[in-house]
Amino acid sequence: MNFIKRFFSGMKQKDEVSEPVKVETPVSEPTVTKSTAPETENAEGTGEGEIFADAPPAPRTVLHAPAVKQGLFPESSDGILIKAQPSPTGDQCMFTVNRVLMKDCSWYFDSFESAAESSLAESLFSMDDVETVLVCEATVTVTRKDKTLVDWTPLAKEIGAAIRNAVEDGQSLIADKIISTIPSEDTIREGIQKVIDEEVNPGVAGHGGQINLLAVKGNSVTIQMGGGCQGCSAADLTLKQGIHTSFRKAVPEVGAIFDETDHTAGLNPFFS
Amino acid sequence: MPRVLTFKVNIETGKQGPNEPVNFSFNGHTMPFDKVIGSNEPDAIFEGSFDVNSFAHSLTLVGPEKGKWEIDKIRVDYECEGEKPYVVNWGAVTLDETTEVNLWQDPPVPAFDV
Repeated sequence: MNFIKRFFSGMKQKDEVSEPVKVETPVSEPTVTKSTAPETENAEGTGEGEIFADAPPAPRTVLHAPAVKQGLFPESSDGILIKAQPSPTGDQCMFTVNRVLMKDCSWYFDSFESAAESSLAESLFSMDDVETVLVCEATVTVTRKDKTLVDWTPLAKEIGAAIRNAVEDGQSLIADKIISTIPSEDTIREGIQKVIDEEVNPGVAGHGGQINLLAVKGNSVTIQMGGGCQGCSAADLTLKQGIHTSFRKAVPEVGAIFDETDHTAGLNPFFS
Repeated sequence: MPRVLTFKVNIETGKQGPNEPVNFSFNGHTMPFDKVIGSNEPDAIFEGSFDVNSFAHSLTLVGPEKGKWEIDKIRVDYECEGEKPYVVNWGAVTLDETTEVNLWQDPPVPAFDV
């Protein structure tokens, strides 16, 4: 209520002062990101600016300062600490360990067979409800077969114990044959860009959407969803069931797929 | 999106600061801060808060009307309905009359030890 009161009282004060509002055009092109404010027509040069003295100011460019990440764990701990973070949709859970499990690369295990000789993934697939496992740096992301269960607590405790045992055993967490088959970043980039151009973007173009490949690090890729995909309520589904599947089919060695889309900043969300 | 009850900012200005009133924009409405301490002149610390009581679609810190504002650090303390209070820290950014900087971050996903 306070905010609403202040907003309307602010409007009233503005009317009382009745100073003309100067509409300025941004001097330079937006450098970093997009504006959250709706596009407004600039009345300058048309003569309308004088008629509509209360025209809204020109939209500003919204910058995103680098976020300073807080550590999940106390720095002075020697023991193996693991945090479980279920996703808001409950379909997967990310386990963060206070040590690196796979350096500078990642690997996606889609079946028990794919986990052969990788002690960490083998122990996770021995649990009935584990469907897929993604190992990336210090994290393990697990999806479960039973999509109707949203409470991860019992399974997360089992998975946490399995990760801890695998790390303590000191065996090869990820099979050497996997590490040796990871192609160069250029090969991954070329393959992913090809599938984006030939398969993914033609598919999402019908909804005014567009997928951009932002970066490839090791065999992990970062994408950004634009156009109608940005802010779309089905973006998560498109990402996980469409884009992930296409990427992994075209480039089986691709590991983690990160989405850096700011879905709250879209100017043209499909379902707006 | 959660209902924001209140938020408080602590902004460390670098070598360049406009020393003018600081505004934020909540869901596109530009407002001055309440309970202001300090300023945004060079090397100063600005603190301000606001009792919003509304759902957050966007929250930004509005750049100065004139000149540049070199910000070294931004800390925001949020209190949202049904959530534990949380803090987000951001690094350096420079604002001017054409820019604003995002101050909104959703509450962190709950995590537990296993």
